[in-house]
Amino acid sequence: MSNISSYFSSKIDSLADNYSALVLGLVVLFFAVFIFGMVTAPNFLTYFNLKTIVRDAALVGIMAIGLTFVTLSGNFFLLSLKETAALAIIAFATSMSAGYGFEISFLFTIVIAMLTGSAQGVLIGLGGNPIVVTLGAAGLLYGLGAYWSDNLVVSFRRPHGAEWLGTGSFLGLPNITIAFILIAIAAELTLRFTNFGRQVYLIGANRAAGRATGHENFGMAIKTCTIASVCAAFVAIAFSAQVSSAQVNYFSSEFGSSGDMTIMVIATVMVGGNSIMGGYGSTIRSSLGAVFISSVDNMMVLHGFNSGPRVLAVGLMIVFSIMVFALVRRGSRSQE
Amino acid sequence: MTALLELTNISRSFGAIKALKSVDFEINSGEVMGLVGENGAGKSSLVKIISGFDDGYTGSLRLNGVVQRFSSPLKAERSGIAIAQQELSLIPAMTVAENVFISGEKAPIFATKSSLARKAAPFLSEVGLEDVDPFLPVERLSIGEQQLVEVARLLAQEPQVLILDEPTAALGESDSIRILGMVRRLAERGKSIIYVSHRMDEIFKICNRITVLRDGQSQEAKDAKRLDVSSLVELMLGRELAHMFPAHPKIPRGEALLEVHNVWPDGTLEPFNFSVFAGEILGLAGQLGSGSGDILAAIAGAKRSREGRIKYKGESFLPKSPKHAISRGIAYCSDDRKLDGLFLGRPIVENLSAPALSAISKRGLIKHDKERSLALSNASKFTIDTSRLDNEAGVLSGGNQQKVALGKWLAIEPNVILVNEPTRGVDVGARAEIYGKLRELANEGAAVIFASTDIQEITGLADRVISFYRGMQVGELQLTEINPASVLEQITHPFGVDDKQPEPHH
Repeated sequence: MSNISSYFSSKIDSLADNYSALVLGLVVLFFAVFIFGMVTAPNFLTYFNLKTIVRDAALVGIMAIGLTFVTLSGNFFLLSLKETAALAIIAFATSMSAGYGFEISFLFTIVIAMLTGSAQGVLIGLGGNPIVVTLGAAGLLYGLGAYWSDNLVVSFRRPHGAEWLGTGSFLGLPNITIAFILIAIAAELTLRFTNFGRQVYLIGANRAAGRATGHENFGMAIKTCTIASVCAAFVAIAFSAQVSSAQVNYFSSEFGSSGDMTIMVIATVMVGGNSIMGGYGSTIRSSLGAVFISSVDNMMVLHGFNSGPRVLAVGLMIVFSIMVFALVRRGSRSQE
Repeated sequence: MTALLELTNISRSFGAIKALKSVDFEINSGEVMGLVGENGAGKSSLVKIISGFDDGYTGSLRLNGVVQRFSSPLKAERSGIAIAQQELSLIPAMTVAENVFISGEKAPIFATKSSLARKAAPFLSEVGLEDVDPFLPVERLSIGEQQLVEVARLLAQEPQVLILDEPTAALGESDSIRILGMVRRLAERGKSIIYVSHRMDEIFKICNRITVLRDGQSQEAKDAKRLDVSSLVELMLGRELAHMFPAHPKIPRGEALLEVHNVWPDGTLEPFNFSVFAGEILGLAGQLGSGSGDILAAIAGAKRSREGRIKYKGESFLPKSPKHAISRGIAYCSDDRKLDGLFLGRPIVENLSAPALSAISKRGLIKHDKERSLALSNASKFTIDTSRLDNEAGVLSGGNQQKVALGKWLAIEPNVILVNEPTRGVDVGARAEIYGKLRELANEGAAVIFASTDIQEITGLADRVISFYRGMQVGELQLTEINPASVLEQITHPFGVDDKQPEPHH
């Protein structure tokens, strides 16, 4: 018994010694999924299907990048992402259908998201429990969206000024995918090279020490919640632009394998291997997590799995990644 | 006479690191064996092996002459070896009696609270807690008393060998005295006790013999009577520790650098008034809960204060937050580096630059080369291994962590340095370095105020001492008046032998 456990702990130690080996392993795993999909599902590697993967990954990925800021800063998760998107999509479509044009509608929607995000941030920053605060906000935002739209589909006519974002592409890549890549790069640069990014990590690693060195969580909670909410609103705008309509339940019923956007986004952050407690991880991890989940999900769709097994797969991926990263972190810490 | 517990030729490696190199260790029954060494010398590795937390060693462990290999703490406990670790394993909301029987095979399966209290009584009296209400939740006791409950819990397992790992590290003077008394009593009753501590005075007070570990190697156990502090330190360090404490320079006392006016931190009995001069090291003496640490936190904006101001550099204010204090050049290290002194999961370089992000950035962008050179220079000033700057702070030993926790404040070039317990859980070598560095900072013109429950530290380091007793400021000692007896008297019974307390004047 003890031999087995010491064997494993020594294995984990050596794995942790060579952190890049782990990253390499994940890349290999990713390609394994890819090749498996290629071999077993003939239409996996078609241009159309790959476009679907990167599209899906983009929508979840952008939201996950926003949420990553919250998680890294130690403020856990926002459970109101789906509802923020729901309110935002109604706001955008209503504004579009009223004829205000893309730019005005876009700004209008983003401003709403900034307000709802920062309001939640204030409450969390004052010491509110993120789960409770955002669960409450979720009901409020969804109710607001439903009330505003009367639970009806709000549609606006093509051609409209948002089509480039919804269905347009550049050099064969959907524009939303390009946006995803640009946002991912910007987010990573922000985390690595700005004071704000450093504060995200410091406060996330130890909030009390953050306060003691002059970095208060109050401002941080407001900033990160705003970022996450704006990202959710951006995704809502892109989604609405694609289907030229909006309904308040779009992100509750039609999204990803589990059908629930919030769950998918949180799964993405965790599968990427970000520390749930904050202070450790990156937006790149979340981005890769999005592509990985999206690939596996897509492959399962092609194999004819219905939503039950697909949700199961997402769940397994979360459990697996949490275990692996937790073990590696522990291994790398037990050096002295 | 064969030893009760005998370890021979014990070696343990973690990867390339050899934590123990053929260590020998023994203890007889009824003996108190001190186990000392610098941080990283191998004390914890050895203790883990004896107590069953680690069985990946080579060499042999004999208990009562029989070779044993404990693969789990439970197995060690069954064989009669119990360990009280620094982190207590009590459940705060449960009663004292319940906690005594919280685990182990002696715990009754069915019991009422009163039957448990009856059963716990002998063990509680054994550790000197006979006066404590066994129905009281453990969280209502002082930390020292909790520590004693922990030992009572272990005694209920009826161990032959009891390991106490730094039992007094978090305790004030009077609680420490209770622990020491208990150790002595247990030894008289035939228990063998392995006593791990950094506190030299305690080691000499209670240990029969002392085993010194250095760089993972053991030396033959020495009779405590044949050693003194300096020879023991020499054995631990392998070199003579010339002076633990730096010399006191002459301090020109012109105008005070910082004056504390009626600052009344939450949880203390009265407002405090004192001042500190540039170049001075001011010691705040007091036991745990005396308020000496609270006043530091209040000056630093880390703790709320009912009233009061500080007069500092022509300004009269009270910092609203640590951020406010930092902006005025006031640095503060709490007594718990893991709680709020360090970012354990972040690299050392980021820890060292954390209070001064604006100094290493331009227009919100971090200049990584500037950060590195700042970290390099401050790390070397505090003798932190500069080759490890990219490692997580969490992998460092206690002494090195404390150096990082203190060293990070160099980045803001502080004028006032407030430190609560500058060397808690820090080994002798690192302690001397920390004292030296604090003196150097004072000599460069900063004012250093430190609070400590360690009499040795107060008497050795401070140029002037202000003493605290149960939330009150009770006395002041000038350099020539500072000695262990005068300090101890002020912090234990400042109002005479009767311990009469005056009405706190508000």
